[in-house]
Amino acid sequence: MRSIVILGGGFSGINVANKIAKKSKRKDIRIILVEPMEHNVYEPHYLFWSFNKDPLKKFTIPIDKVLNKRVLHLRTAASYIDTKNKLLDLTNGETLSYDYLVISTGVHLEEEQVGAYEKDNVHHFYSTKATQELQEALKNFNGGTIVISPSTVPYKCPPAPVEFAFLVDRYLRKRKIRDKSTIKFLYPLLRPYPVPSVAEKVQKLYDKRGIEFVEFFNYEEVDKENNKIISMEGEEIEYDLLVLIPPHEGQAVIKESGLGDREGFVPTDRFTLKVNGHENIYSIGDCTNLPVSKSGAVSHFSAPTLAKNILLELEGKEPSKKYNGFTICFVVTSPRRSMLLYFSYNFPPKKFGLHNLFIYGLFKKAFKIAYFKALLRGYL
Amino acid sequence: MTEYNVAIEVDARGSFCPGPMMELIKAIRQAEVGELLSLLSSDEGTRNDVPAWLKKAKHELVEIINLEDHDKYIVKKSH
Repeated sequence: MRSIVILGGGFSGINVANKIAKKSKRKDIRIILVEPMEHNVYEPHYLFWSFNKDPLKKFTIPIDKVLNKRVLHLRTAASYIDTKNKLLDLTNGETLSYDYLVISTGVHLEEEQVGAYEKDNVHHFYSTKATQELQEALKNFNGGTIVISPSTVPYKCPPAPVEFAFLVDRYLRKRKIRDKSTIKFLYPLLRPYPVPSVAEKVQKLYDKRGIEFVEFFNYEEVDKENNKIISMEGEEIEYDLLVLIPPHEGQAVIKESGLGDREGFVPTDRFTLKVNGHENIYSIGDCTNLPVSKSGAVSHFSAPTLAKNILLELEGKEPSKKYNGFTICFVVTSPRRSMLLYFSYNFPPKKFGLHNLFIYGLFKKAFKIAYFKALLRGYL
Repeated sequence: MTEYNVAIEVDARGSFCPGPMMELIKAIRQAEVGELLSLLSSDEGTRNDVPAWLKKAKHELVEIINLEDHDKYIVKKSH
């Protein structure tokens, strides 16, 4: 009996576990998902959730409800990966051996590096707790300056801060306090988005909606006593409400096990998804160092490659399937509009039209239905 | 071709998003003042972005070397 252990049960881990379980008819394998959480969250909804208070159950699902019956879910985490002996030290005190390991541990939000989120006017929308706090802060906001900025790259869902600026503009207009408010969007580049064609569209919409763009602002620190954000270029900007995307790094188990790069991301072959220097370990999703976005779409498009390569190895064949980096990305420009980008390792992001189609704009929101019904379950 | 004693080399060839610029900024954060860095990029947008950012951030662009399928930017961390 050979063990395929999937470490981390976010979207990537659940998807890969289900794909392997569905595609392999072998009776000599066991598939184990190591994940302490009981529920999976549809994280793209945090962006919209900042502005409303939908019950959490509207965008979460019990993991065991979407997991293939062949997959054993261990409700624990790992503290160390012993690659020499192919063993995981689990936080429940036990050990778990593997023949093949899939690392899908996601990222750790380094809130303590910022050291200001305890203030009631510094927030983000990258976790349930943080988004709930932001909801309160927005509800209590009655005018002033809202500053939106990434801290470092990479961070999950590259368009998210751009989108937040659009949505907060809409929110303030709805509350009739837009004229008493200033929205400033700070970005590390010369334009408000890395892709020039998208940046041009974003800038036009920002101009139209009165959102101020501050170029080349690379976050350095928050002066929380004086409500100022300071850049490495030496600029200081005052805020009444700061929405700062927290720094992202790899999880402690990756760093402790010596499997991460400088920031704890797993060096991964961009084509086979095998961890560099480790024949029987693969990695997928936000925890990798792949030169593509950290997003569920990348996980979705790369999962078939990873699952196929493990299945090939089980048959004693070469893991020859290659991921070409293809992915898509929606950039929401209002509650009803969005742009679609698509790109791969071989070509830079291209914009797909249809920005003005109402139904198209709803796609990012409606996507959670497909996510829970099909993607998580490994059907697509 | 001038030989440079580079402390950090960033190979961002084939990277589009978030882009070679961000890789350079990360490297500058790690470098010591006075050290040279090199950035390899095949992305055309970098040709505008890097010189403009270095000017704003007050770091020195020592040289841009055009190679067959990419450019090599030699940068000095000035402060």
